[in-house]
Amino acid sequence: MRPWVAAVGLLAIAALAMVVAGANPLLGFFALFQGSLGGPSQIAETLVQTSSLLFPSLAVAFAFRAGLFNIGAEGQLIVGGLVAGVLGVHLIAPQIIAVPILLAGGALGGAIWGSLAGILRARFGGNEVIATLMLNIIAALMANYLVVGPLHTPGAAGPETGELPVTSWLPTLLPGSRLTIALIIAILLAFLVRWVFDRTVFGYELRASGDAPDAARRAGINLPRMAFLAMSISGAMAGLGGATIVTGVLHRFNVSLSPGYGFIAIAVALVGDLDPLLIVVASFAFGMLQSGSLTMQAVAHVPKDVVSFVEGLAIVALAARRFVGTRKTAAGA
Amino acid sequence: MDQLTGFLTLSLVKAAPLIFAALGGVVCERAGILNIALEGQLTVGAFTAVVVSFVTGSPILGLAAGIAAGALCGWLLGFAATRFNVNQIVAGTGINLLALGGCAFGLTVVFGQPGASAEVHALGRSGEYALILVAFLAAAGLHVALNKTRWGLRTRAAGENPHALASASVDPRRVRVLATILGGALAGLGGAYLSIGELDLYSDGMTAGRGFIALAAVIFGRWTPLGATGASIGFGALAALQFVLQRSGIPSELMQALPYLAALAALTGITGRARAPKADGIPYTG
Repeated sequence: MRPWVAAVGLLAIAALAMVVAGANPLLGFFALFQGSLGGPSQIAETLVQTSSLLFPSLAVAFAFRAGLFNIGAEGQLIVGGLVAGVLGVHLIAPQIIAVPILLAGGALGGAIWGSLAGILRARFGGNEVIATLMLNIIAALMANYLVVGPLHTPGAAGPETGELPVTSWLPTLLPGSRLTIALIIAILLAFLVRWVFDRTVFGYELRASGDAPDAARRAGINLPRMAFLAMSISGAMAGLGGATIVTGVLHRFNVSLSPGYGFIAIAVALVGDLDPLLIVVASFAFGMLQSGSLTMQAVAHVPKDVVSFVEGLAIVALAARRFVGTRKTAAGA
Repeated sequence: MDQLTGFLTLSLVKAAPLIFAALGGVVCERAGILNIALEGQLTVGAFTAVVVSFVTGSPILGLAAGIAAGALCGWLLGFAATRFNVNQIVAGTGINLLALGGCAFGLTVVFGQPGASAEVHALGRSGEYALILVAFLAAAGLHVALNKTRWGLRTRAAGENPHALASASVDPRRVRVLATILGGALAGLGGAYLSIGELDLYSDGMTAGRGFIALAAVIFGRWTPLGATGASIGFGALAALQFVLQRSGIPSELMQALPYLAALAALTGITGRARAPKADGIPYTG
């Protein structure tokens, strides 16, 4: 399916859904637009959503390019956020030291979580799809247990840590908004990923193990090692994203810090054709949907869930894009 | 004694939806389609059953509609996977998102409120127990059908060696689509059991990851109907045990995580060598 056909079709289905909900589609789309780009604060919020989506989307694309299906960005993001949040409440240090430590901690947490699936794949040949799906749920349960139980912050209510000290917050780009330097970090990361893929031997080996695993093996590329590294690095990116949400957006860790960024990321990565720079653009488009959907619900009375419905359809429609069918291993153990 | 009966009953009550969904997963995977959209199919089945029971006042029609909706959802995966050769994993993730969003959207539209539906006419206690029986019959039926019938042979061939099937003039794509429709129907039935069998309403997130536990049961049960049913009963007992151990100090999250941890263990092979169907998840391109 051509992308523009898919886009027009999805818009038509979204409009139809609005009619079904008894709303005026024009008003619905207008409200979506108003809520996402209608003013400086709306644009800032859209950019917040853009950066929150960009990290896991790059993570998903990175693994996809190496022939691996990381359905676990959601769990890796949660673990990254958990590490940043738990460290952050206790860390007393100047901002210039605290913030890098928390971001690095988040990336490390995500990397470890991603590497579990990588090890399973590399060491035992276990399917990374099933592993990452299971690890998503285990991550949420573990985070819930830890912040309510052993790592509970005194005074915190519900499944979250207390508020991080101001020295642990990401510096804002626009005073009075939640827009922080996370956006810049995310965009730099996109360039970095592109550079790794296009200009380094490591990136070439990753792509080779994804596109032509048999040829790659014969050429002496260690496929299990590549699987382990790809999943760990992918997890690190998602975990870094979780850390930026904790230190930049919420200023605390909450178990439900992500409205499914790790899954929407799959749609973003596909729309962006697995190209890091196109993914930046796609993240902005999906960020608009995220930030505009509440206005759409309030003004045009369209339930905001229509957005995830359309995102799901987008994934199904775009699943036929070029990278498919390259996978030659069976599912399961 | 009463406590033991109560525990065993609760185990079966909790196992039934897992059995339905896991059987759905087994059919699909044995035919070569990795169905990670079981969660979405459960959700759609649960939601549709409640809506139809609400509109018509008949829980039986609700049950039928839940099965049909699950089947439609399964067909979408099968159609996309065979007609357009889309990646099954990506499409399955999309269907999960679509189902969750669509049902949350539909809930607000039909019942005028987010979160949970109104109470509707349900199947009642006797209906619930009847469905538990159906779950076991379905397991036995699928075991026989997969192993002793021509349909079963073709289905297994589509999952092991679709090219051999094609050389016998049977289109593996057709066999696979049929399997996803059946698998979706089973998962839809499991969803309807949750909403109008065990309860009498639909609420967002009520499937609570059961589709993924069912996937775990498929692996743990080594892709066989009886194995998956056994694993589902075990996971159902774990769920029942949570109620018993509520005040024991054992973290409930650990209990909830056990099925997923068990699946990971099964993936490493330490629970004995388990092998997925050879062509599971691989598109048949003819």
